[in-house]
Amino acid sequence: MSPALIAYPFLFVAIFFESFVLVTFLSKPARDARRRAPASGNYPKVAVIVPCYNEEATIGGTVESLLALDYPQDKLEVILVDDGSTDATPATMRQHREQPNVKIIRKENGGKYTALNAGIAATDAEIIGCLDADSFVDPSALKEIVPCFDRAEVAATTAAMTIHEPHNLLEHMQNAEYTFGVTLRHALAAVNGLYVTPGPFSFYRRSVVQALGGFREGHKTEDMEMALRIQRAGFEIDNAPRARVYTKGPRTVRTLVKQRTRWTTGFMRNVLHEYRDLVGNPSFGALGLIVLPIAVLAIVSGLILFSLFLYTSVANLIVMISVREGIPFGYAFTPSLPRFDWFYIPSSLYILLGVLAAGASLVMIAMGKRLSRSPQPLSVGLFAYTVLYGLVAPLWLLRATADVALGKQRRWK
Amino acid sequence: MSLLARNTLIALGITVVLVGTVAYAVNYLNQQRVVELSAIEDQLSIDTLSLDTQFSLLETAPCDTASSTDLTGELTDLGNRLSYAESQLGSANAEVIRLKEQYSLLEIRDYLITKQLAAACGTKPVTVLYFYSNAGDCADCAKAGYALSYLRDAYPQLRVYSFDYNLNLGALKTLITVEKLRDALPAFIINGKHYYGFTSLADLEKNFPKGALATTTATSSRP
Repeated sequence: MSPALIAYPFLFVAIFFESFVLVTFLSKPARDARRRAPASGNYPKVAVIVPCYNEEATIGGTVESLLALDYPQDKLEVILVDDGSTDATPATMRQHREQPNVKIIRKENGGKYTALNAGIAATDAEIIGCLDADSFVDPSALKEIVPCFDRAEVAATTAAMTIHEPHNLLEHMQNAEYTFGVTLRHALAAVNGLYVTPGPFSFYRRSVVQALGGFREGHKTEDMEMALRIQRAGFEIDNAPRARVYTKGPRTVRTLVKQRTRWTTGFMRNVLHEYRDLVGNPSFGALGLIVLPIAVLAIVSGLILFSLFLYTSVANLIVMISVREGIPFGYAFTPSLPRFDWFYIPSSLYILLGVLAAGASLVMIAMGKRLSRSPQPLSVGLFAYTVLYGLVAPLWLLRATADVALGKQRRWK
Repeated sequence: MSLLARNTLIALGITVVLVGTVAYAVNYLNQQRVVELSAIEDQLSIDTLSLDTQFSLLETAPCDTASSTDLTGELTDLGNRLSYAESQLGSANAEVIRLKEQYSLLEIRDYLITKQLAAACGTKPVTVLYFYSNAGDCADCAKAGYALSYLRDAYPQLRVYSFDYNLNLGALKTLITVEKLRDALPAFIINGKHYYGFTSLADLEKNFPKGALATTTATSSRP
C-alpha cells in the first residue's frame, strides 16, 4: 500500500474537523457568544487563585496584572498559594501582603491540584479562577469572563490564551498554535465540546467544583481532569474569546517537548482510562462523538503521518544519493532552478489535500487573532507554525505514547 | 435537527465537495498535461515528416538545409515532460503508454534521420540508444538514466535515445531484433556497439569513442 493511500483517511478527517469548526464558528450560538457584552453593573465576587512552585521570575508580574484588572477591587480576591517553593517566590509574594484583597497561603509541596484546593478553601467567592504564575492577564479579561456564568448550566469558562512576548521561532510557533486554539475553543464551546480548562485564567463555579470533590492530581493535568469531570456531570464549559491572557511558553525544544509530553500523556491517561466512557458516547454530544474521538485520532495520525514522512524522506534520500553516486558533485547536488511552467506544478491529491488542511489551519489562526483582538504580531508565527510544528509535534507524540505504553511517570518540571 | 447533527452534516458535505474539487482539479491538470504532450508530439510528427521529406527532396545536397538538431532538443524536452507525466499518472496509465509509444516512434525516426544525414554529409554524431525497464526488474536503470542525463547536459552534441524495453510497440521490437539486443538491462548501443549493465559513470564514459566526450566544453553544473 502506498504511503499516500494510508494518509488519505487522516487528511479527510482533518479537513472534516476543520470544516466542522468553521461551520460551528458561524452558527448562532457562537455568533451570540461573540456579541456578548462585558460585565457592567452586576459584579459577582470573584477569587483568582495563583498556585506557585518556584516561580520567582514571573510571579511579581502575574500579581501586578491581576491587581490591574478592570474590576471592582472589593469584588476581587487574589489568593497566592505557595506550594512549598524553595526559591524567592515567598519573598516576592510578601511584597503584596499589604494589599487588602491579596491573600497569601503557604503550604508544604503537594502538587498544583492541592494548591488550588487550598485556595478554594480560603474563599467564599462563587466564581473562582486559576491563573498560572507564569501568565499575565489583560485588564479587561475578567469583565469578559463573568457574563459567561449568567447561564446556570455553565460550570467553567476558558479564556483566549496567547504567548507572552514571543521572541524566538519556537515561541512564535506556539503563539500561532495558541491563536489557533482561540478559534477552536470559541467554536467548540458553542457545542459544549471543550475538554480542558487551561491553567491560565480558567474560571469555575465554586459550588460545582466542591460538589464534584475539588481538584485531583489527574495524571499531572488537573485542568483536563476537572473539565472532563464537569462534562461527565452534565455541565457546560464556556469560552470568552476576548478575555486575553498571555502565558510564557517554553523557549527550547527540550522544555517544549517536556511540557507537551505531560499534556499528551495526561490526555491519554485520562481519556483512555478514567473517562473512556465519554469517547463515542452520544450522551455527551459533540464532545463524545466528534471532539474526543478526533483528538485521539489526531495522536494516532500524527504518529503515522510522521512515520510515513520519515520513511519516504529517508527512502528518497537513499535513492537520490545512490543514483547520483559517481556523478560530479557540482551537477548532482546543485539545486536546479524552479521551472516556471504550469506543466511541472506538483499536483498529487496527497499534496494538495495536505496543503488544503494546512491552509485551513492558517485561516483559523488569522480568525483567532481577529477574534481575540490579540496585539501579538502573527506573521513570524504563521511562518514558524508552517515550517516547525510538523517537525516538533511528533517528538512529544512519540515520547508520550511510549510513556503511556510503558507506564512511565515523569516529573512535572 | 440538533445543532450538532446539522453542523456535522454541513461539514461532511463541505469536506466531500472540497476533496472532490481537489480530486477533479488534479485529474483535470493531468488531462491537460496529456493534451499538451499530444500537441507537442503532433508538432514533432510534422517536424519529423518535414525533415524526412526535405531529406528525400534534396537527396543530392541535404547537408546545407536539413538538420535534425532542433528536433533532438525538442525530443529531449518532450522526454522530460513525459517522464514527469508518468510520475504523476503512473506507468500503467493508458494515455502515458500511448504517448510513450508515440515518443519512441519519434525517437526511432530521429535516430534514422541522424544516421542518414551522417552518412550523406560525412558527420560523426555520437548516438546512444538506451534501453531500460521500470517494471522493477532493472536495479541499475535509475543510476544509468541519471548518468546519461548528466552526459547529455554536459555534452549537448550527444544524441541520447531512451526506450522502455517492455513497451509493446512493433517498431521498437523490430529495432531490438535488428540490433540483436539481449534481454539484459540496462543496455546501451553507443555508435553501434552494444554494452550491458551499469557500474559507474566513469565505466560508461569508457565505452564512448575516443574524443567523443572531450572535444566539447563540458559543464560541471546544471545548465
